[in-house]
Amino acid sequence: MTTTTANTGHACAPGDYKSDLKPIWCPGCGDFGVLQCVYRALAAIGREAHEIAFVSGIGCSSRIPGYTTAYGFNSVHGRALPIAQGIKAANPDLLVLAAGGDGDGFSIGGGHLPHAVRRNMDITYIVMDNQIYGLTKGQLSPTSRHGRKTVTSPYGNLEEPVNPLMYVLAYGAPFVAQGTPADMPGLTAVIEEGIRYPGFAFVNVQSPCVTYGSEDQMIKAQKEILQPLSKMGHDAANRIAAMDLAQHYGKDLYTGVFYRNPVPPATYEALVRGLQASKQAGALPRERILDLFLQREPQDEEDGGSET
Amino acid sequence: MSLRGIDFTALVLRDALDLAILVEEEAEERYREFSSQMDLHDTPDAAEFFRFMSRNEQKHGAELAARRRELFAGEPRVVTRAQLFDVEAPDYDATRAFMSPRAAMQVALRAEEKAYAFFVAALPHLRDAGVRALFEELRDEEVVHQDLVKIELGKIPPDPDVDPEDFTDEPLAQ
Repeated sequence: MTTTTANTGHACAPGDYKSDLKPIWCPGCGDFGVLQCVYRALAAIGREAHEIAFVSGIGCSSRIPGYTTAYGFNSVHGRALPIAQGIKAANPDLLVLAAGGDGDGFSIGGGHLPHAVRRNMDITYIVMDNQIYGLTKGQLSPTSRHGRKTVTSPYGNLEEPVNPLMYVLAYGAPFVAQGTPADMPGLTAVIEEGIRYPGFAFVNVQSPCVTYGSEDQMIKAQKEILQPLSKMGHDAANRIAAMDLAQHYGKDLYTGVFYRNPVPPATYEALVRGLQASKQAGALPRERILDLFLQREPQDEEDGGSET
Repeated sequence: MSLRGIDFTALVLRDALDLAILVEEEAEERYREFSSQMDLHDTPDAAEFFRFMSRNEQKHGAELAARRRELFAGEPRVVTRAQLFDVEAPDYDATRAFMSPRAAMQVALRAEEKAYAFFVAALPHLRDAGVRALFEELRDEEVVHQDLVKIELGKIPPDPDVDPEDFTDEPLAQ
């Protein structure tokens, strides 16, 4: 599969998106695989690095923009989505990716997610969901399972985890998928499809924490239990069926596209462009603005405009 | 280990050579990444072994590239790195901080076994005689590589019979 960029016509390879920074994740971390899948998905899309903005919050996984050659912003905890939306609003032609962890996205930044979903900007949000705060040495995160022992829950987690898939489906996200680095071709495919989807695309990645995760969360274990939705006869156009499957989050590991709205709703930036065009069509020419402000008849330029 | 969008039944020698070169390139890069990870996490012996493996993969790739130039000089490459997933490159989850040299060698041995399995699985689907001969050669080379790693493994003493996880404390309240 060779792809070319629209602007230059030269082929893009995964290595074109790899920066000189060396990842400092723990050896064995799932995020290494996610990064490879991002490189491959971007190569398949074929946009050049300078046409891509990659925004993240704070956390282990939020280091990911720095490992790419795209414009990157390792921003503020939980604020990847507002910043990504600002970038997209300012320059809708950019391919905008947002990324982070489950704590960043569903706890600290949890209030931003529903509004990003309902605003529906053409952004792909990749969450590396490891069910723990790894960078700060293993505290409970919003997706930590019930009963999980951590430094902040030495007697086991008393709470039920957030279900990110149900969460975004309930808010009406038009594209919802899940992947894992245990299936790199599958993860690459959903990231690529999410980027190609014209609207807000959410990709939850079960990316294990090799330091604070348990054995049953590791890639080896995931390979044994993952079930590709494409082999289950799931109809990705059926949102209710997607929600039914999403209920199994934390118990069964379904991978692939849960929901893809077959009639993509208009994006926020498209609506803004439409509004701008309609307003500009009916707007007064610039030279009439002063007349309008002063509530006077149009002035002839030659009379000097002295009447007020 | 997987390939995306490659039809083995239609594979011609030029593309098979390119595929083999890319397989070596991917493995070389992965071992280089692993050596960086080990350097970063104060695991110098494993880092040195991964550097050794990276040099080996680079050498094999260069040999294949020379053959490709001799047979098909100037012809464009059709297969790409985006189509390959860990054919000979060891899996990302195979490493651990502070892994022993023996554990690093076992990672390499599993990767060579994986590559051998790939060529064995591909053979029944090949129709081009030249491609078949190449894949048989590559399959046999993987056996040689496995033997080389086994020789290295034989040179070092066994790891102590303890699991570092046995010394992991239960989480304590902060």
